Amino acid sequence: MADPAVASGASLNLGARVGGSKAATSPAENYHLARRRTLQVVVSALLTECGFESAEKAAVETLTEMMQSYISEIGRCAKAYCEHTARSVPTLSDAVVTLIEMGFNVDTLPVYAKRSQRMVITAPPVTNAPVTPKALSAGQKRTHPSHIPSHFPDFPDPHTYIKTPTFREPVSDYQVVREKAATQRRDVERALTRFMAKTGETQSLFKDDITAFPLIAAQPITIPYLSALLPSELELQTLEETDSSEQDDQTDSENATGNLITDDPGADKENSLLPSGAVVPSAKASEDNVIDNPYLRPVKKPKVRRKK
Amino acid sequence: MNRKKDKGFESPRPFKLTHQVVCINNINFQRKSVIGFVELTIFPTVVNLNRIKLNSKQCRIYRVRVNDLEAPFIYNDPTLEVCHHESKQRNLNYFSSAYTAAVSAVDPDAGHGELVIKVPSELWKQGDDLKVFNVYIEFSLDQPKGGLHFVVPDVEGSMAERGAHVFSFGYQNSTRFWFPCVDSYSELCTWKLEFTVDASMVAVSCGDLVETIYTHDMRKKTFHYVLPIPTAAPNISLAVGPFEILVDPYMHEVTHFCLPQLLPLLKHTMSYLHEIFEFYEEILTCRYPYACFKTVFVDEAYVQVSSFASMSIFSTNLLHSPLIIDQTPVTRRCLAQALAQQFFGCFISRMSWADEWVLKGISGYIYGLYLKKTFGVNEYRHWIKEELDKIVEYELKMGGVLLHPTFSAGKEKDNPTPHLHFSVKHPHTLSWEYYKMFQCKAHLVMRLIENRISMEFMLQVFNKLLSLASTASSQKYQSHMWSQMLLSTHAFLKSISNVSGKDIGPLIKQWVDQSAVVKFFGSFAFNRKRNVLELEIRQDYTSSGTQKYVGPIKVTVQELDGSFNHSLQIEENSLKHDIPCHSKSRRNKKKKIPLMNGEEVDMDLSAMDADSPLLWIRIDPDMSILRKVEFEQADFMWQYQLRFERDVVAQEEAISALEKFPTPASRLALTDILEQDQCFYKVRMQACFCLSKIANDMMSTWQGPPAMKSLFTRMFCCKSCPNIVKTNNFISFQSYFLQKTMPVAMALLRDVQNLCPRDVLNFILDLIKYNDNRKNKFADNYYRADLIAALTNSLTPAISINNEVRTLDNLNADVRLILEEITRFLNMEKLLPSYRNTITVSCLSAIRELQKNGHIPSDPSLFKSYAEYGHFVDVRIAALEAIVDFTRVERSSAELQWLLNMVQNDPTHYVRHKILGMLCKNPPFTKAADSPLCNEALVDHLWKLMNSGTSLDWRLRCETVNLYYTLFGLTRPSCLPLPELGLVLNLKEKKAVLNPSTIKPELGVGAVIDTPASIGIHGVGMSYSAVDEEPDPISLGVCGVGQPPQGMKRKAETPLGSPPEPGQVLQQQEEDVRGGRFKIRFNTMEEEDIDMETVHDSQAFIHHHLNLLERPSTPGKEPPLVEQSMLSMPATPVPSFAKESTSSSSRHGGGEHGHHHHHHHHEHKKKKKKHKHKHKHKHKHDSKDKDKEKDRDRDNSHAYSNSSASGRSLRSPSMSD
Repeated sequence: MADPAVASGASLNLGARVGGSKAATSPAENYHLARRRTLQVVVSALLTECGFESAEKAAVETLTEMMQSYISEIGRCAKAYCEHTARSVPTLSDAVVTLIEMGFNVDTLPVYAKRSQRMVITAPPVTNAPVTPKALSAGQKRTHPSHIPSHFPDFPDPHTYIKTPTFREPVSDYQVVREKAATQRRDVERALTRFMAKTGETQSLFKDDITAFPLIAAQPITIPYLSALLPSELELQTLEETDSSEQDDQTDSENATGNLITDDPGADKENSLLPSGAVVPSAKASEDNVIDNPYLRPVKKPKVRRKK
Repeated sequence: MNRKKDKGFESPRPFKLTHQVVCINNINFQRKSVIGFVELTIFPTVVNLNRIKLNSKQCRIYRVRVNDLEAPFIYNDPTLEVCHHESKQRNLNYFSSAYTAAVSAVDPDAGHGELVIKVPSELWKQGDDLKVFNVYIEFSLDQPKGGLHFVVPDVEGSMAERGAHVFSFGYQNSTRFWFPCVDSYSELCTWKLEFTVDASMVAVSCGDLVETIYTHDMRKKTFHYVLPIPTAAPNISLAVGPFEILVDPYMHEVTHFCLPQLLPLLKHTMSYLHEIFEFYEEILTCRYPYACFKTVFVDEAYVQVSSFASMSIFSTNLLHSPLIIDQTPVTRRCLAQALAQQFFGCFISRMSWADEWVLKGISGYIYGLYLKKTFGVNEYRHWIKEELDKIVEYELKMGGVLLHPTFSAGKEKDNPTPHLHFSVKHPHTLSWEYYKMFQCKAHLVMRLIENRISMEFMLQVFNKLLSLASTASSQKYQSHMWSQMLLSTHAFLKSISNVSGKDIGPLIKQWVDQSAVVKFFGSFAFNRKRNVLELEIRQDYTSSGTQKYVGPIKVTVQELDGSFNHSLQIEENSLKHDIPCHSKSRRNKKKKIPLMNGEEVDMDLSAMDADSPLLWIRIDPDMSILRKVEFEQADFMWQYQLRFERDVVAQEEAISALEKFPTPASRLALTDILEQDQCFYKVRMQACFCLSKIANDMMSTWQGPPAMKSLFTRMFCCKSCPNIVKTNNFISFQSYFLQKTMPVAMALLRDVQNLCPRDVLNFILDLIKYNDNRKNKFADNYYRADLIAALTNSLTPAISINNEVRTLDNLNADVRLILEEITRFLNMEKLLPSYRNTITVSCLSAIRELQKNGHIPSDPSLFKSYAEYGHFVDVRIAALEAIVDFTRVERSSAELQWLLNMVQNDPTHYVRHKILGMLCKNPPFTKAADSPLCNEALVDHLWKLMNSGTSLDWRLRCETVNLYYTLFGLTRPSCLPLPELGLVLNLKEKKAVLNPSTIKPELGVGAVIDTPASIGIHGVGMSYSAVDEEPDPISLGVCGVGQPPQGMKRKAETPLGSPPEPGQVLQQQEEDVRGGRFKIRFNTMEEEDIDMETVHDSQAFIHHHLNLLERPSTPGKEPPLVEQSMLSMPATPVPSFAKESTSSSSRHGGGEHGHHHHHHHHEHKKKKKKHKHKHKHKHKHDSKDKDKEKDRDRDNSHAYSNSSASGRSLRSPSMSD
């Protein structure tokens, strides 16, 4: 069996890197693949060292996988140990403890490393380590105060915990704002209507060029009055906003009548829509016992005598 | 005077209706059908009541029982087809008189009806003790075209989920369209109404909802209504649908109903109804007469507002959310109108059609009082002026509107309104436009009465009328008292004289008994020496629609020293009036000038004439005469009047007068008034348009920015950047309306090239661009729609180079911008529809304007797609308006055809009616002009439409008549070939020759009585042969009582006694065609007898007539004469043949039944019914002499087949009693 501890020196690095490249995007993937290829070469070298002349691809692949897992595990554990001791970068002792923990006899390692028949593998081509996108730096980072050792992590960006200073003056010129709002709205509307016109049926005002001034075709709808009478949700929103802003003088009167209004329709609807044995909900009835409206009364069941 | 005599109410009927049950068991939305029965409780007022005439149209009647005995009946409706189809008559005079006769023939106010029920002999023989009759009628309606309107949206789901609903509608008394009744406003009775509807629906009807009970299968429920207050049938209504219910939070006995999903709108819309209630109850010092009130909002409503006993039906389009400004006052007005009619119109009904004006007048008047209270005096006076201008314009154009037409019995020649192309004798013959003006005039006259007797007395009179009525209504079992609830002109005037002690006779005579308005021309001169104002008031009383006024007139003169009222007397020959002035020209320059209202103001008097102390003069400032005043005074006087007179009417008059004075001073006066926010907003709006008009007239001398631009900028734009409008804030309605109006008026400005100035166009485009409604409490859809209207107004005709086809390439750059906006708006509306789609409406008219001005190709297809059923009604109307305009401009017969087809087939009555209205307003051609559109096919189409195509909607028919009048005038349309008078005779001879040959084979068939088609055909032959045998009907008629044919001949004689109506084309032929006339009369008479026991329904009736019409050889080619004689009928006393039908029926007992069953085979294709009637027939006639009957059958049926659908046949039975 090939000794799994090949190039353990490198493995530390590797492990750390593997751990670091978790958020693999496509450049990171390339990087990852390159590493794996190197690992494969290593496995093959070890196999040759052990006297194999050839190996099945699947076997090599399995061994590579095992090796990778082993190394990864070492890296993970080492990192865990280091973090356990409140550090951010693993040290040699971390790696040693890890190896011991995993049941590896560390003493054999120097001998193995110095064996004579070992093959030297060329260093893997330098691939660009994936660039972790730099966090948007805003403002001046604060330096550590004197009582904090310098190896402690830096302070995060001030905007994340203090405030966000803006650097450019907002456009406060009324004219420009209005202009911008108007243009923006117009552009949106135009784009939207163009899109609708392109995707649906259109009517045209010109016979020679039906694409100019496309009009969304008029489609009859089954209940035209609904859309024509009901305010759109947008309008309702503004209504609510404006209402809440100037409710001060209205609240009293509206509350007084509001109760009645909201109660009735519920009762009515139930009354008129209940399929059978409709009874006005007793809670409601007691609430509005003031209102005696024939349309709110329960529907009577047929009398038997009516049969003839 | 006719009026003075009719003290009490005399029923035209030989019975009194006391109670009616209407029960509708089944309403099928899928098939749009209704099944039910009615039960009328009647008390005969004569002994031997043997016929009961009821009104019923379009109902299929299955059986009639009187006191549980099967009763025979006939159903004949002459209004279904007014004139004989084969007639080549095409002049409107002829049609109108025929139509009037047809309507009279079934007029319930004259005791007539379409449905004549023969009281079973068992009952009338013992009828001397005047006992109660219960008339029970089973009926059904299938796809009704009038009376009831079904709205069934074509979507998935149950009927309730689809929002399907049905409601009753009609113009005037139209209840007969949906159940048999006495369809008169003067026949009151109590009601029990039962409607069984799907459990998911609500049935709303008149009266109190007593209980709601499930049917046994629990899938339906029955609504039981009781209306204890005596009510006329036309005031009964029904609405069924899956309505959402809202109990009024202020008045729990008031319930509101709307279609699903609209509840939030309903809540808002109804939130002020209680105020209207309170107002009316307070001024009338009378409680609302019914125990409850219901409002129902329905889709596709016939009219915006219709009032019935204790309920009103409104168009759902009146509902609005709190975001909407413009609709709010409109809806409030509609509610107020509906409620006013509850008191006067529903609770208090009219005695006869001639008294209609009182009810319309009072309800309109108290509605006006409501306007005054709610919207202010300015609004009220503005409204009065508007109404006055409307009525004056209409009367001057069309001739007078007569409020109280009197028809001296019998003399048809006494047409009180000969200038009109329709008769004012019946509500159903009136043009809609006329009726609207009638209502308008009625309330204005009420106001005149108020001016005369004071409002206090006026309200006392109303209160008195109401308390009388409510006393009468509580007399549950004394139906003779109920006539107190009917209001007549006489009773009203009597009440006025009792309460006020004033004689308003002259006023009534002038405005009520007489049509037309007064037209004054005024001018003046100031006589400095005498210090006298010499006022000259002339009248034009010769042109149409004018009358002479004699009496007092008020003149207000504003002088330097104050305002003075003078009452002048207008007399026969005095034109000049000297009015002494109070002030001696200008003495104290610095002195403030007192106004009419006591206010004292500073005026810059430099503009006025130094010699004259007169600032301005007003004639009849209180509008206490129905008049038009054209007054001449100097421009500075108008300007002073505009600036300083506080009355809005005076200000508006001044503005319209200033249009003729395009001077810088006028400009200044108008601009000042525009800026003055104290001033009534409608005046300011009017000033905008006047300003743009005079700016155009002053084009060469105009200085500064375009009119109103700087004003608008100052009022509505940002201080810092004047080209950008402020974000919308419509909290002040006055400025909102001004902001809406100004751009529209500005766009009317023109520069030297007669184009809209670039400045203005850019300005409007900027308004659109910067429009920002995000912070606004209200919707801006009306504002945006007006901005589009402004763009439309800015359009001018394209410069066209030799009529090239309009293409995109030669589109003007400005127009391109406009088009861009319109396209965007129109497309956005599809995604975010605005309230009532106002923006689409505006865009459509803009596109039409672009087309008309030649900027884009003229093409109706876009409009046609928007005019389709399924768009919001406002959009459809706008699109149709564009098509109407297109039809006129392009003279397109295809489009005209398309429009007329829509008139015939559109599901929405309102749209059908509107199309005709628009065609009348913007006619494709008129009688004066030659047009390729005017051809025989069009004449025939329209004729057919008014003759039979619109028979189930009075209003539509009258509108069609109106259109026919607009297009062709009263006489025969010029595009038709001249009527070949000789030909008629020839044809007749030909027929006489032809007929015998057809008789024989047909007679053979005739023996097989079941063959429906044969009846009509052999009928032709038989009637002729009958005539041949009895050439002298007059002499024969004298002796014949027992024999039906002879009796009929006798009737034929009566028309001879009365001269035919003059002015008919065929009059000169009278001698020649007399024979024909006999035949016809003979036939019509027989028809009645035959039909007596026949089951007819409207469909069958039409079917039958269509059969007749397809036959060219029918001898009814002289219908004009028939119609003439019909006209003269009511006048002619005909006692001699009175016994005829009675005697014949008594002789045969129930025996005449034998002849009728082939009729209903003829009519009804339904086998089931056939069996039923056969059965009935057998059962009744077992003991009768069959042979004899058969003979008679044949005679009768023959005659029946070529009878005219004239009213005369129906009139006669009444005389036989």
